Amino acid sequence: MTPTDADIVIDARGLEPPEPMVRTMEALEHLGAEATLVLLLPREPYPLYRALEINGFSWQTARRPDGTVEILIRHQRQ
Amino acid sequence: MQALLSFDQAPPFGAPARFFLTAPLFAILAGLLLLWSGPGLFASRWTPEALALTHLITVGFMLQVMLGAMLQILPVVAGANMARPRLLATLVHLAITLGALLLAAGFLGLQPLAFRLAALFLGSGVALFVGSAGHALYGVPPSRATIRGLQISLLGLSVTVALGVLLAIALDGALDLPLPRVTSIHFSWGFVGWGLVLLAAVGFVVVPMFQMTPAYPAWFTHLLPWSALALLSLWSLAEAADWPAPSALLAGALLLITATFAVLTLHLQRRSKRARFDATQHYWRVGMLCTLAACTLWLVARGLPERMAALAERLEWLCGVLLLCGGFMSVIIGMLYKIFPFLVWLHLQNLGGGRVLAPNMNKVIAGQQIKRQMRAHFLALALLLAAVIWPEWFTYPAGIALLVANGALLRNLLAAVAFYRQQRTKIAALIAAATSSDGKPSLTSHPATKAPAP
Repeated sequence: MTPTDADIVIDARGLEPPEPMVRTMEALEHLGAEATLVLLLPREPYPLYRALEINGFSWQTARRPDGTVEILIRHQRQ
Repeated sequence: MQALLSFDQAPPFGAPARFFLTAPLFAILAGLLLLWSGPGLFASRWTPEALALTHLITVGFMLQVMLGAMLQILPVVAGANMARPRLLATLVHLAITLGALLLAAGFLGLQPLAFRLAALFLGSGVALFVGSAGHALYGVPPSRATIRGLQISLLGLSVTVALGVLLAIALDGALDLPLPRVTSIHFSWGFVGWGLVLLAAVGFVVVPMFQMTPAYPAWFTHLLPWSALALLSLWSLAEAADWPAPSALLAGALLLITATFAVLTLHLQRRSKRARFDATQHYWRVGMLCTLAACTLWLVARGLPERMAALAERLEWLCGVLLLCGGFMSVIIGMLYKIFPFLVWLHLQNLGGGRVLAPNMNKVIAGQQIKRQMRAHFLALALLLAAVIWPEWFTYPAGIALLVANGALLRNLLAAVAFYRQQRTKIAALIAAATSSDGKPSLTSHPATKAPAP
C-alpha cells in the first residue's frame, strides 16, 4: 500500500516530538474499523509501537531509500 | 478503548530524574571549591584542587546526566528496556554520587582510604549500569549508527573507569604505574571513547529531531563510533609503548574526527527549519564552537617549543575549560532542557491514560527562566576562561558565576518537578470527574493544553 491509498496520512517528518505521537494517537482515536493510517517519520518510533500494541492496532514498517520510515497502521483483526 | 497512550515500559519518572537533579549540585560544589581554594587552583593542572574540580564536573555532573539520559533514551531510540529500572537507578545513583564525593574528598585531603572507597563505589556503580545496559542492548540489531554508538560509548566508559580505579589505587604508591601516561590515556578515553562517542550517538538522533535540521550524513554516523574506538585503542598502545611519532599522528586523527563532528553539527544547524534558535540550539552552537576552539588550541600547544612550556600549559588549561564547561556542559544542559520536559510530558500523558492529554511540553519550564540560566552559564564559561589567564582577578567571579548558573539550572529542573506534581493532581481529579459523570471516560483536553494544529 502507498500513502496515497491510506485513509489518513500523517507526514510528521518536520514535527518536533512529541507532536507526531500526539497527532497519531488523536487520529487513531477516530480510525474506522477497516480504515488505515500511514505515518511518515525520519526515524523508527519505538514508544509508539508499544502504545499500538496495547491499544489493539497492528502495524507494518517500511523504510524508503531516502531514510523515511513509513508505518502503516490499522485495527488488529479479531 | 484502553489507555491510548501508554509507555508502560518507560522507566518511572524518579529513575532518570534523580540523576538530572543531582548533577547541578556537583557543579555548585565545583563553584564552591573555586571560592574556597582561590587562584592557587590554577597554578597547575595537577594541583589537588584542579583535579578535584575536574572530577566534580566529569564524574559529578557529566556522568550523572549521561547515565540518567541513557536510562531514559535506551527504550526510546533502541527499543531496549533495562530490567528493574527503579532498583537499578537507586543503586547506580547512590554509588556514583558517593563515589564522586569521595573522589573529590580524596584529591583535596589526599586520603588513600577516600580514593579506595571512591574506586569501589564508582567501579561497582558503573559496572552495574554497563552490565544492565549491555544486557538490554544485547540482541538489538544495530540497524542504526546510534545503537552501535551507545554500545561503543559503554565500552569507552568502562575503560575510563577501569583506568581511573587503577590510578586511584596507584596514587598512594600501592601500584607502580607511569602515572602521567596512564592519566593521559584515562582522560582521553573519557573525553573521546565515552563523552564524544555518546554525545555524537545521541546527537545523531536528537539534533535533527529537536532542532529541525536535516540528518547527519549516514557515512559519518557509521564511521565516527568505530573510527574513534579503533584510533583510541591504537593511540593508547602507542602512548603506552612511548612511540611519540605514531602517537602524535593518531592523536591528530582523533582531533580531526572531533572537529568534523563539530563542523557538521554547526553546518546542520544553519539549515534548521526553525525561524529562531531556542536555548538548546544556542547551547549546541556554543558547545561546538568551544570544541573547535579547544582542538585548535591543543594543536598550537603541541607545536610550541620546550622553552614555552608555561604557555603550553596555559593553553592546555584553556582546552580543558573549553571542552568541559564550554563543550560537554553546554550541550548536556541544552539537551536537559529537552529531555526533562519530555520526561514530564511522557509521564503525565501516561497518567492521563489517553483520557486526559498532557499539557504542552513547552509549558514545563518557563522559557524566560531557561534564557536567564543560559546567559549565566555562558558568563561562567567566559569568567572561567579568563581565570585560567588571570587567576588573581577572575577566580572568585568565576566561582560565583558557576554557582549562580547551576543554582539556576537546579531551580529550573525543580520547577519542572513541581509542574509535574501539580499536573498529576489535576489529571487525577479530571479523570475522577469524567468517570463519575457518565461512567465512560472519553478523551479530554487538559485545561493547560493548547490543542495541536490540525
